[in-house]
Amino acid sequence: MADVSRATTPGGGIARLLGLPPGTRIGVVPWIALAMLLFIVLVTVFAPLFSPHDPIALSPLNRLKPSSAEFPLGTDAYGRDVLSRVLYGGQVSLLIGVATAAIAVVAGLAIGLVAGFFRLADALIMRVMDAFMAIPPVLLAVALVAIHGASVSSVILAITFSEIPRVVRLVRSIVLSAREEPYVEAAISLGTRMPVILWRHLMPNTLAPLIVQATYICASAILIEAILSFLGLGIGTETPSWGNIMADGRTYFMLKPSLIFWPGLVLSLCVLSINILGDTARDMLDPRMRKREA
Amino acid sequence: MATRFKTQDFDPADEVIAIDRLCVELGTAEGGRRVLDEVSLTIRLGETACLVGESGSGKSLTSLAVMGLLPANAIRVTSGSIRLGDTDLLTRSAREIRAMRGSRMSMIFQEPMTALNPVMRVGHQIAEVLEAHGIGSTSERRRRVLDIMAQVHLPDVERVYRSYPHQLSGGQRQRIMIAMALILEPALLIADEPTTALDVTTQQQILGLISELQRVHGTAVLFITHDMGVVSEIADTVHVMRQGRIVESAPAERLFRTPQHDYTKALLDAVPSLHPRQPRPQETRPPVLDVESLGKTYESGGFLKKHVAKRAAEDVTFQLRPGRTLGIVGESGSGKSTVARCVMRLIDPTDGTIRLGDADITRLSPGQLRSRRAKIQIVFQDPYRSLNPRRKIVSSLIEGPINFGLPRNQAIERARTLLETVGLPADALDCYPHQFSGGQRQRIAIARAVAMEPDVIVADEAVSALDVSVQDQVLHLLEDLQRDLGIAILFITHDLRVAAQICDDVIVMQHGKVVEHGTAGDVLVSPRHAYTRALIEAAPGRGWDFAAGREIAREETNA
Repeated sequence: MADVSRATTPGGGIARLLGLPPGTRIGVVPWIALAMLLFIVLVTVFAPLFSPHDPIALSPLNRLKPSSAEFPLGTDAYGRDVLSRVLYGGQVSLLIGVATAAIAVVAGLAIGLVAGFFRLADALIMRVMDAFMAIPPVLLAVALVAIHGASVSSVILAITFSEIPRVVRLVRSIVLSAREEPYVEAAISLGTRMPVILWRHLMPNTLAPLIVQATYICASAILIEAILSFLGLGIGTETPSWGNIMADGRTYFMLKPSLIFWPGLVLSLCVLSINILGDTARDMLDPRMRKREA
Repeated sequence: MATRFKTQDFDPADEVIAIDRLCVELGTAEGGRRVLDEVSLTIRLGETACLVGESGSGKSLTSLAVMGLLPANAIRVTSGSIRLGDTDLLTRSAREIRAMRGSRMSMIFQEPMTALNPVMRVGHQIAEVLEAHGIGSTSERRRRVLDIMAQVHLPDVERVYRSYPHQLSGGQRQRIMIAMALILEPALLIADEPTTALDVTTQQQILGLISELQRVHGTAVLFITHDMGVVSEIADTVHVMRQGRIVESAPAERLFRTPQHDYTKALLDAVPSLHPRQPRPQETRPPVLDVESLGKTYESGGFLKKHVAKRAAEDVTFQLRPGRTLGIVGESGSGKSTVARCVMRLIDPTDGTIRLGDADITRLSPGQLRSRRAKIQIVFQDPYRSLNPRRKIVSSLIEGPINFGLPRNQAIERARTLLETVGLPADALDCYPHQFSGGQRQRIAIARAVAMEPDVIVADEAVSALDVSVQDQVLHLLEDLQRDLGIAILFITHDLRVAAQICDDVIVMQHGKVVEHGTAGDVLVSPRHAYTRALIEAAPGRGWDFAAGREIAREETNA
């Protein structure tokens, strides 16, 4: 015990913050997923540079054309270029995914910290959350769209509402176990104020699981948006999204399956990549999974 | 009562296990760090060999190597042999070793709660051993399980057979583990710190049980422990390990009377004596901490449920004067930690008053309390959890002083000085807790408490998780700080030896009540209450002065 084993700090920055061990190894699949996701994000964000046509320009002459040099993925029933629509549609889908994840995580973190640390607030907050969880997200979206009309913000609002309780539960459970840690009690004894304790000693514990949760929320939001649009409850067809492109294609599905195939494929690949990255993050950040491999 | 070492001669008995120059390295490639270096030891029929040493010395690795339980992808045996009877274990396949576990060698662990399956009835868990070896019919197995349960002196075996682990006490769980290990009458029993997690009185019973069963079955026992007191009670032969090597092997009595190796001497020197140190002069200054009829009752149940009140502490009264140390001793569940946490106001007491200096802090609101917090600080038991793993040492040390308005650069300056005071280099400031050993972390935790310039430090089992030599150093550190700064210490411990060495006064608690209160000399040398006497009776090796290597004179223990 006498030997002072204070090696030079292994890894600083993010790895330290997330409590990662030095030299954590990552397989090849997550890298493929990351590359695919980056590719999808780049081509959709810079859709104006890559799309050969205007995604909403009607062209009755070019209805339901097969793939050609001019229309790489063919055209839909109104003669709109499918490739351009898929590229532009990704903007809305990704925006909804990222915005939902960000809002749900930030709001859930704040509510969860309070619920976990203050016993009085806990009972009230958690019953409200239970009530939220009892509402099916699709039905809530139907109600919101009926009141506010179909728009990106009402879709985000609807999905966020149903995701927040899950984040709150996660954060609360972490805080409940972390607040029993002696270092938290030591901080109380040192006269540290409650908000500071929450921020300084409890919040960092939630970071790693929240990153993982955020990827799942993002993926599920993209899917729910597609479902809503497919049901005709999402964003209007003048703004393409992966969901409403597929909804439009439904009519001519028997005649031209590629109308649904291409947006469906990109949607699936995108959600798959996000989920693989989430799983990888969980394996790396979860101490129990790490132990099993050691 | 004189210490009676076991003196049986085992030379004519058959060898049960012979470990010969066993080397074990970390990692799977050549040239990994050597964690066991030429370890050799033999145990004969009916012999108890104790393997002692501090954490990280390789005691447990040795036992895991024998059981064939070393993680194959992280640690490998590079040379040497392990012979069980006439079988060379290292050349056998995993399948053959598995067949031998339980039938020819078995193991019991430190923590019976985690070693037993929590969702399976304990009777079935013992029967599983028979089932795995394909022995007997269902009713035959049940009969044998009940029989071994009676042998380990479990009460009402039919009921215990159907119980789940959480329904049993710690001692009963350890009896179940022993029953499980011995049901097939193995030739070798490995016991890895089997009594460390138990209270002293329970420990005494379990040690008695192991030697009783050993006599009946003629089992060879490899007993791993860090507690020299336990060694003195049960060992025939002692092997002292350090950094993967056996540095000294000798029959128990010879080792305790005339230790040869310097490390053995240092280990024995560090064992605190049960005999209280010289009393210090009386302190007449007014008390800094005055606790009067403190009580804490936990209420459970509630809406539509029956109210159940559990009194964790009741009518606890004491005064602590500047520069003095008051010990609260007792077994687990006696309420000693409840008192500590009430005094810290980490939990709210239900009755009584706590006066800190001239202020009554019993009912202060969190806001009012915060300004008083500096005066009373706490050091926790587990050095691995008492520092935030994500924050540098400097942030932990300056957090308190900055809360009380000290400018940041002055706080850092104070932290630097304090690290030196507690014996750590000043460049430790920029390190993270995981870069330090348990003892070093405990020093940092003490520095954090002292940084607040408190009047009182509550040490809640602050040295219980440390090796004896480190424990000794930390106790000296506390003593030095007390002498230099006049801090009063409320010292919570289950270890009477530690209490004898650091406390001026001692409170003995049982079931939430104070059963005895007096100076360390009075309480530990001439206890009045039956429970205090039982505690002292149960302390292993109490008649032996480890540092001096001789019996404690009769009049000193029984005066």
